[in-house]
Amino acid sequence: MDVIPSLDLLGSQVVRLLRGDYATVTSYGDPESVLDSLDVPRGSRLHLVDLEASRSGRPVELAIVRRFAQRDLRVQVGGGIRSLADAQAWIDAGVEKVVIGTVAADSPDVLRAIVDALGASRVIAAIDVRDGVVRVGGWERDASTTLDEVLTRVESLGITEALITDINKDGAMCGPSFALYRSLQTKLRIIASGGVSTLGDVVSLSRLGSVGGCVIGRALLDRRIRLAEARARVATPNAIPERIIPCLDVRDGRVVKGVNFVGIRDAGDPVECATRYETEGADELVILDISATDSNRTTALDTVRRVSESLFIPLTVGGGVRTIEDFRALLRAGADRVAINTAALRNPQLIADCAREFGVQAVVLSCDAKHVGDRFEAMVRSGKESSNVDAVEWCKRAEELGTGEILLTSVDRDGTNAGYDIELLRAVTRTVRISVIASGGAGALEHFRDAIEAGGARAVLAASLFHDRRLSIGDVKRYLAAEGIPVR
Amino acid sequence: MITTLIDSPVANVANIARALRTVGADLQVTRDPEVIANAEKLVLPGVGSFIAAMRWLEEHRIDAAIHAAVQRGATMLGVCVGHQLLFDCSQEMGATRGLGLVRGEVRKYEGALPVPQIGWNRIQSVAGRGPTLFDGVENEVFYFVNSYAASHAPDEVAFADYAGSFTAAVQRERVFGLQFHPEKSSAAGLRVLRNFVAWT
Repeated sequence: MDVIPSLDLLGSQVVRLLRGDYATVTSYGDPESVLDSLDVPRGSRLHLVDLEASRSGRPVELAIVRRFAQRDLRVQVGGGIRSLADAQAWIDAGVEKVVIGTVAADSPDVLRAIVDALGASRVIAAIDVRDGVVRVGGWERDASTTLDEVLTRVESLGITEALITDINKDGAMCGPSFALYRSLQTKLRIIASGGVSTLGDVVSLSRLGSVGGCVIGRALLDRRIRLAEARARVATPNAIPERIIPCLDVRDGRVVKGVNFVGIRDAGDPVECATRYETEGADELVILDISATDSNRTTALDTVRRVSESLFIPLTVGGGVRTIEDFRALLRAGADRVAINTAALRNPQLIADCAREFGVQAVVLSCDAKHVGDRFEAMVRSGKESSNVDAVEWCKRAEELGTGEILLTSVDRDGTNAGYDIELLRAVTRTVRISVIASGGAGALEHFRDAIEAGGARAVLAASLFHDRRLSIGDVKRYLAAEGIPVR
Repeated sequence: MITTLIDSPVANVANIARALRTVGADLQVTRDPEVIANAEKLVLPGVGSFIAAMRWLEEHRIDAAIHAAVQRGATMLGVCVGHQLLFDCSQEMGATRGLGLVRGEVRKYEGALPVPQIGWNRIQSVAGRGPTLFDGVENEVFYFVNSYAASHAPDEVAFADYAGSFTAAVQRERVFGLQFHPEKSSAAGLRVLRNFVAWT
């Protein structure tokens, strides 16, 4: 999949509009300096939108486009191209392809004239969609045709590429319309546009199969995505499998399961569960000692020792880790990684100390987050008490201090089987670079897909669902593989 | 045949010992240079720092003991940092000399992806290298934790991609190295260890 940087131009500046509204302009400055700062390599495709032209219907930013075309970039430009003369003006300025929007949806004859004159290979059809309806004229009015009709017409003219934007998603950083792109039935090479705000979004789009390219605007400008990293991930999308992690909540040497961290019931022997999960294909195992904050730790160490003796996948252990010595004791007992929660919130330096002593890869931040007002708060004491710390900021800080990964549990969703909290996951995955394990709420197969695809999680954790054998790890892996998500 | 596991303090010896015993190794764990020099089948584990691990080998004259064993025809396996120690040198903190049992050097990842690499990654076996430890698991997924790796090493028998190709396994005559953790790679990892224990 092509990852195409995109710049919107207005008044010879790079800008962003929120939801296509010309009244909400954010400026990023001079186009050439912006392009330099993004490390766009030679030969790369570059998507430009002339916003003034889009509104007025006349090419405006010809001078800038000419300069870019001379920089060995394969420029495609869109915005208000309503006639062959407009399209010709851009081609004369040196662009490789013109992106035709309103006309493609509204005026089949003009589109045909442009294709006849320039050749279908130099035309990309741009289709803007809001709530399933095609929008035209700088998104300011509905077109008279459906998406399917436009796609069919475009295809019949020999055009091979269509850029499809979900207007509700554009620039709002809430993720692209995976459902829309998944539903498309067309031979056209689809370029996804709108809402791509994390590296995970780019990877998820590349896995859809139906998407041949994506344009990224604001997320590049805001440094949420690095172009080189995105291209590296997309180049080998199947090399690194996403992980399925069963979790054993252990109290006094027994596996237990609670709903919303309370109402606990017995679910078996940890060693038996661990062995079964490895056989089923678990990629990793998490043991959370939920008694440890409140009672003695000797039992927990013994459980870890017994489990690790028969386990040949990585083992992460958390619960009640207060000091570097607690951390060391768990590693010695057989843990590969140790999750810190309450103690780190009280003393963030503990993360840095453990990272220095045992390596970043051994440190996992366990963050229990709860929706409080319009933000997420990090909870302490097994989700019982708020720390009054913003959970997203806390994850960012923990990354800086030296955490290898974040185990992110939604206290609201835990034990409910209502699905992972995608909003929480997105809030964290767009803020940190390290990988996030989604936890709390798994109840159905598509929940696992959504946590990875839309939430940006690199691993999905579940406890009761697997304990109760409502789903096996094999079921989840087969489902994800069928959805294009690589698994081991 | 006895398998001799070098009891390095810069390693998680217990885990690899457990995995080797599980696949049927008759195991002894030692840091005695004399025992190591006379070993027929040697395993060198390692985690963390190349420099710290190499310094420990030198201080206890285990480097010389390893060379003596390999010269006498021992079969040897290096795991993770133990694999890196087999190379000529590492670029960790400038250049640090390694054991020189396989050719090439170990460098920090310079690709676009986060370092360290923590997680599963699919390997590809190099075609035409004859029998290797990957018999039955040629293109499997293994568990990696590393910031450094060789790439396109002359003795490479398997590689993987982490924003660029890197060497996942090496083999030179009877010396083998695995960049990943076979003891954490479930059935595929145990298969590789079993192939090593059975190697004649």
